[in-house]
Amino acid sequence: MHKDMHPLLNAYLDDELQGTRLQEFKIHLASCDICQGNLKELGLISDLLHAAPTPEFMPAERFASNLALNLPRRIRRNLPMMPGQVAWWLIPVSLLAVLFFVQTVFTLTNLVTAASAIGLLGQVGDWFGGEKLTIWFVAVTSLFGGQVNGMHSTLAWLNELNVFGVTLLEGFLWQVLIVLLYWGWLFVWSRRHRQKSANS
Amino acid sequence: MVLTKTAEAETDLVEQARQGDRHAFGELVCQHYPGVVQVVYRLCGDPGLAQDMAQEAFLRAWIKFPSFHPQSSLRNWFYRIAVNATLDVLRRRSEVTLDDETIQMIADQADSPETVLINKERVSFLQKAMQSLPEAARSVLVLREYGELSYQEIASVLGVPVGTVMSRLNYARNRLREILKTHQLLLENEHA
Repeated sequence: MHKDMHPLLNAYLDDELQGTRLQEFKIHLASCDICQGNLKELGLISDLLHAAPTPEFMPAERFASNLALNLPRRIRRNLPMMPGQVAWWLIPVSLLAVLFFVQTVFTLTNLVTAASAIGLLGQVGDWFGGEKLTIWFVAVTSLFGGQVNGMHSTLAWLNELNVFGVTLLEGFLWQVLIVLLYWGWLFVWSRRHRQKSANS
Repeated sequence: MVLTKTAEAETDLVEQARQGDRHAFGELVCQHYPGVVQVVYRLCGDPGLAQDMAQEAFLRAWIKFPSFHPQSSLRNWFYRIAVNATLDVLRRRSEVTLDDETIQMIADQADSPETVLINKERVSFLQKAMQSLPEAARSVLVLREYGELSYQEIASVLGVPVGTVMSRLNYARNRLREILKTHQLLLENEHA
């Protein structure tokens, strides 16, 4: 029984027991004279080990100076980047890539829309989704049907203008979002860079 | 807060040392040398050898520094290199063991009538007894008592499971206790 307790005695002495095991052991220890005696002996051994005198060693600064003279030349090489560092530098690259992609998509969309509107694409324009209808345009034409016949071309023109405006706004918001994220990254980078320079 | 700043400063020094900055490495050596030399000395029991082994350990660390992972504990890494370097040398040397005759001789010395000296004798005896422990058990005991590492850290330094650390520590302390008891250097009524 008490042999089994020895590893726990050591763990208790070294503050390595936690939670329920600690509580259980404390309860046992309170009622067990043998374990109390063993614990005292182990504590005494620990005290004696710490009481052992330490010889005087060379001061740390002198040791470091001597060591510096013996340090071999280390071939300076570019250290492989840690995964965190790679991810950090991927952020601006990805943002620039996304910005380029978004910009290209919107430019092409505008070109196709314009070409389709002036009839340059003929029926090919329909492949790109044909005419886009806004909610208000659908509502007006379905509610008033024939009554708006005379005004249909004006409403259609307003509808196209609205669609163009929404597309333009969407594109603008995307660009603003990406630019803000990029500036945010630049800000964090400059802060870290300044901190590093201050520390060194 | 202070601790965080110190840790941050160490992280910066580690990064600079990894890049080959000797001055940064020197500062890290200054911080960790006292602990390393103490652990090595307790392992080998020879101050001269301890100093040499500490130097050998830091030289090895300098060469291996680019492969050190900044997320891990630098102190534990230095300890690991130092313990391995010391054990390599001790294995090549003739084993330091206390046979019964030597133990008896030390015990006889400790049996001097001057009780004032008994504690000093016990300490000296214990140091020698510690050198008689198998190196696996001694390494664990030294890292715990003088390196003040937790069981988990010792396990990581020596590359063994925590359970092995516990059993080796248990063995080492019991062995020391038996030796002291055998030679009446651990008096039961002393701490009653």
